Amino acid sequence: MTGMKNIAGKEFRSSFRNMEFLLIVGVFLIMSIVSVYIGSTTKNAELKAYEDIVATATAAGTEIPAAPVIYPLAILKNLVEYIVMIGSVLAIFLGFDAFNGERRGGTLRLMLTKPVRRSSIILGKLSGAGLVVGLLLAATLIFNIVLFDFYTGVFPNNAEILRVVLFLLVAFVYMMDFYAGALYVSTKTRESSYGFLLMMVVWIFISFVIPQVAESQKSYAYAINNIAGTVTQVPEETVLSNAIGWLSPAVQFKSVGNDLLQAVDETATIGIGRLLAADLIKILYLIFPSVLLTILSAREVKKEAIL
Amino acid sequence: MLHAEHVTKSYPNIKALDDLSLEVSDGAIFGFLGHNGAGKTTALSICSTLILPSSGRVTIQGMDVVKDNLKVRKILGYLPENVALYGELTVRENLRFLGRLSEVRKVDAAIDDALGLLGFSQWADRRVKTLSKGMRQRVGVAQAILHKPKILFLDEPTSGLDPEGTAEIRDILLRINAELGTTIFMNTHMLSEATRTCSDIGIINHGKLLLADTLKNIEKQYEDCKSLEEIYFRIGKGAAK
Repeated sequence: MTGMKNIAGKEFRSSFRNMEFLLIVGVFLIMSIVSVYIGSTTKNAELKAYEDIVATATAAGTEIPAAPVIYPLAILKNLVEYIVMIGSVLAIFLGFDAFNGERRGGTLRLMLTKPVRRSSIILGKLSGAGLVVGLLLAATLIFNIVLFDFYTGVFPNNAEILRVVLFLLVAFVYMMDFYAGALYVSTKTRESSYGFLLMMVVWIFISFVIPQVAESQKSYAYAINNIAGTVTQVPEETVLSNAIGWLSPAVQFKSVGNDLLQAVDETATIGIGRLLAADLIKILYLIFPSVLLTILSAREVKKEAIL
Repeated sequence: MLHAEHVTKSYPNIKALDDLSLEVSDGAIFGFLGHNGAGKTTALSICSTLILPSSGRVTIQGMDVVKDNLKVRKILGYLPENVALYGELTVRENLRFLGRLSEVRKVDAAIDDALGLLGFSQWADRRVKTLSKGMRQRVGVAQAILHKPKILFLDEPTSGLDPEGTAEIRDILLRINAELGTTIFMNTHMLSEATRTCSDIGIINHGKLLLADTLKNIEKQYEDCKSLEEIYFRIGKGAAK
């Protein structure tokens, strides 16, 4: 336990002295601010458009259409995309050299002559990265609540704060999947650059290729008959699209994230308990890779021969 | 202090250690001599719990280095040939991290003691990446003695150092041995250094131990030889025949 705590502390300190890592953190935080800004201007534009429609309808004496439903948290929904795009890269960056760097630099030899269990090295690294990612997401939370208040003039209520906190917890789990993946690759390879490249390929597949294939498949899920003016659902295509989506944690993360950030009308107003119950399988699916990859990394480190 | 019995280490195409048995007594400075690839580092790695022997047994203070590895690590200090530290951290941060891993309770006081002993206190807040090889070697020694180990394993501690650095490390080792009572197990191929530093000598060739005794006994046994170097070559030639 002491060993794990110390390794976690060292990982935490080292991360914040790494210029490349700090640069990615900076980009992540800027994107998070931009996300709130874009979200709020989009919603303001929607409101402005509605006001124009109301003005025109009033002048023409026609019926005033119903006001659009605007869910306040939806202005944060771009965060989901930024975590898929940048958050995961940041986690890969933290992990790709985490173990092999110790091996290559020779510090692993030193560590293994101390009374530390090999599994503590992996758990310590995971905890250190968890602290870094957690701190970053906590900073994002504070930034976003402040910006939310600044742009909307409304301080989010408790339910909304709870949704944002839960979203960041899910984002934490999602980012840790990539860290655990990078750490595992780092235990397997003696070439960190190869490990990084491999993880970037995995990232491209998870974040872009599979979601795109699932999305494309979804377009076949509805048969549109222009002559009859009907839209018929094709169940096989929907099932296939969903099945493809289950190959990518990014798809499931986006789904849970959008639910939590009120970006989906159907789930925007339901209670948090019901929402979590509905998304439980997806959340468990997101937790699973971290657990599995940590176990595999620990097994790999146990086998590590030092000379 | 250290007792090795019939230790063998085999790799697919090579036997790195072949039936090595040796004894290092408490308080000794044991110099393990041999050419490159003789098996010195393999022996040291087994003794310091880094790798497992293929067969045989090593105990340190009666504790088996395989079965009781965590306990053994509490009483051993280790300095690799190329001292590896975290360059972006300061000397103190490196020592604090490694000291805590060694379960040192009052780690800052221990760091001050170790750096004081090595005459290195003024560099405590320097980042390690800015230090010279000789300075890093001293930090390496500091991390190895923070927890006041009973036995210190050193792999070529003066390799790559200039004569001044070599002399400094030698003095430090003699002081550690005298002041802390630490047994030292040192791999080296610098025979002159071994003569100046070691009380006991072991010579290994192609994984086989050719000789192990106190330096005095060895000198008495080979009294016609003028130096340890001459003894080393004579034993080496004898083994080759």
